[in-house]
Amino acid sequence: MFPGIDGFHWTVGHVLFLALFFAVALTILATVTSALWRTAHDFRSHCAIELCWKQDFADLPESDRRCRHELAGRVISKTCDNNFDCRGCENYSKFAVLPATGLASLGLNYPEDRFYHRGHTWVKTEEDGTVTIGLDDLAEHLIGNPDSVNLPETGSELELNQIAWRMKKNGNEIRVRAPLEGTIVGVGGPKQGWYLKMRPSREAHDAAALRHLLRGPEVGGWLSREMERLQLQLRPVHTAPSLADGGVLLPGLMDAVPDANWDAVLADTFLAP
Amino acid sequence: MSSTALPDSRLTDGQLTDAKWIPRGEERTSLSRFLLWLAPWVVVLGVGVYAAGLCLYYGLNQTNMDNRFAFGLWIFLDLGIIALGAGAFFTGFLVYILKRTELRPILNTAVVVGLICYSGAVAILMIDVGQPLRAWFTFWHPNTHSMLTEVTFCISCYLLVLCLEYIPIVLRNRQLRRLPSFLVFEHQLHKLVPVLAAVGTLLSFFHQGSLGGLYGVLRGRPFAYRHGFFIWPSTFFLFILSAIASGPSFLMLVTATVEKVTGKRLVAGEVFRRLGFISGVLLAIYVAAKSIDTLVWIDFTSPSVGFAPWQYYMHKPFGLPILFAEIVIFGLLPAFLLTYRRTAMRRGWLLSAAALACGGVLLNRFVLTVQTLALPTLSFDEFLQYTPSWQEVASFGGVIAYGVIVYSLSYRYLPLFAPQQGDDAHVSGH
Repeated sequence: MFPGIDGFHWTVGHVLFLALFFAVALTILATVTSALWRTAHDFRSHCAIELCWKQDFADLPESDRRCRHELAGRVISKTCDNNFDCRGCENYSKFAVLPATGLASLGLNYPEDRFYHRGHTWVKTEEDGTVTIGLDDLAEHLIGNPDSVNLPETGSELELNQIAWRMKKNGNEIRVRAPLEGTIVGVGGPKQGWYLKMRPSREAHDAAALRHLLRGPEVGGWLSREMERLQLQLRPVHTAPSLADGGVLLPGLMDAVPDANWDAVLADTFLAP
Repeated sequence: MSSTALPDSRLTDGQLTDAKWIPRGEERTSLSRFLLWLAPWVVVLGVGVYAAGLCLYYGLNQTNMDNRFAFGLWIFLDLGIIALGAGAFFTGFLVYILKRTELRPILNTAVVVGLICYSGAVAILMIDVGQPLRAWFTFWHPNTHSMLTEVTFCISCYLLVLCLEYIPIVLRNRQLRRLPSFLVFEHQLHKLVPVLAAVGTLLSFFHQGSLGGLYGVLRGRPFAYRHGFFIWPSTFFLFILSAIASGPSFLMLVTATVEKVTGKRLVAGEVFRRLGFISGVLLAIYVAAKSIDTLVWIDFTSPSVGFAPWQYYMHKPFGLPILFAEIVIFGLLPAFLLTYRRTAMRRGWLLSAAALACGGVLLNRFVLTVQTLALPTLSFDEFLQYTPSWQEVASFGGVIAYGVIVYSLSYRYLPLFAPQQGDDAHVSGH
């Protein structure tokens, strides 16, 4: 079959078969090599984290991928197709000018001087150009006091939507996504009321730099859906879905409802895969 | 990272749990029940491995095959599962090349089924051929006049392709995907999967055909010998057609079985109907081609080598009913049921037809392997009977068990199916 091996003759059949076989083998080899090379290239060009987020975003249920303008009541229905990064969204300005129908924040504390990420973190701009990042009120109500917290080192750099810090509670790992890209300049914790201080890669006082974060009437709409999801997920097993007609969230829900499927709840809440 | 230590909490209330490895949003049975399900299959696999070990150590005297009955249960199994595994390449071809994106929900399970079928076939071939450490001889000193050479080359390459198609599915495991390098590699490899699908289609086309061609060129076995086109006997094309006709039906059956076992609706009914229609149309074409081929064989091919075709059917149990069953009961009937709208809309009819289509391809491979060798061809020959030894049966069972185990593990830990939403998510009665 191969040149130099007993019985081989240069016939048209042999040449055709060998050409086809080696073409197939080379195609397979080239495919794997190309995938490996592209992977290495993505890491070298710092695209890897963005790619991971795109993958995770694509795996979110459609109900979790609603456009901020739908949350604000500016449009009836729209799925985000921009990975929650409105900074690159062509439609943002078109819808942002429409009137919003704001909703109340359902007894939770969401100060209006902050910006909110869908992974339940808040961002507050400081005078010195840094930002402070913490867990929002709903996440605080869920977790209560975490058993352990694993924060990044000061000086480390974070990409948008990268896992910024991890916490553990009752054996569940909670992975919190970075709401912004930048360099960590300080770390806090649950007792301080904030977790990270960051110098953003883009100027924080530039409105466009924080445009991907929720604020104003969008927050109420988003929260009402999050609360609805929580009520469905935390209902007792084998009971039909029913909506509560009032009341506020208990602090420390993970301790108060230990039998719930917290794996699923936390994954949905913190946009984890 | 600064951190506060926390004890590992994999043990919950004294029970080992694997919840963190299960795809997000999916519900699976408890680990203990899953292990209980796997236990008998592991035993069957263990016995199979032992039997295979005996065959490899002592040789083929452990089997009931001999110089005349050189193909037995193992080759029947090989041909059968390679035909049923054709759903993998054919679904890939439909989705990536013909852009039939409505079949995407079944794609991952097609890859797993294909991988199981082909790796199982290669494993059993290794036992049958023997001396697996010298397998490279096949590539370095191939018999250039054998269709099996093409089969060997194509199956080896296609198994590699299936492994590469399986890697992105494995890397989407919930824990593995947390490693950014794995997720990015999965993303990049997934982007190139259409190339692999095209290569897989080319390879499958040739090896499915060559497996059929192998029988068609047996001049010494007039029951199987066929005329054909250029260097390819008609069985070359019939094998390709029957494989791509039964592959989608087998995918339906596997998915429906998993749905029954798990009590969940895994793919939409429309996907089943689409697969069924494709399977039915191809089966109808196959039955037409097979019928023409049989008529040509009866009128020309068999008489030309000195045999009246009815002689072959005088040996019980291989009478005419087998031919009738192959063409009508396992061919025409399922083709009608799969394509006729009123029956295709009913799940019971659809799955019954799919089972008949798969049964038909298995019967065809059985006829070509066992009946061909059992029939006498010389005046002093006798009709031979062959009963596989326990080692052959155990190895056969081992491959089945291997398939069940690999599929079960894949289903439990990998996202084979997109989560179904709404009331359709549970099969009634479970």
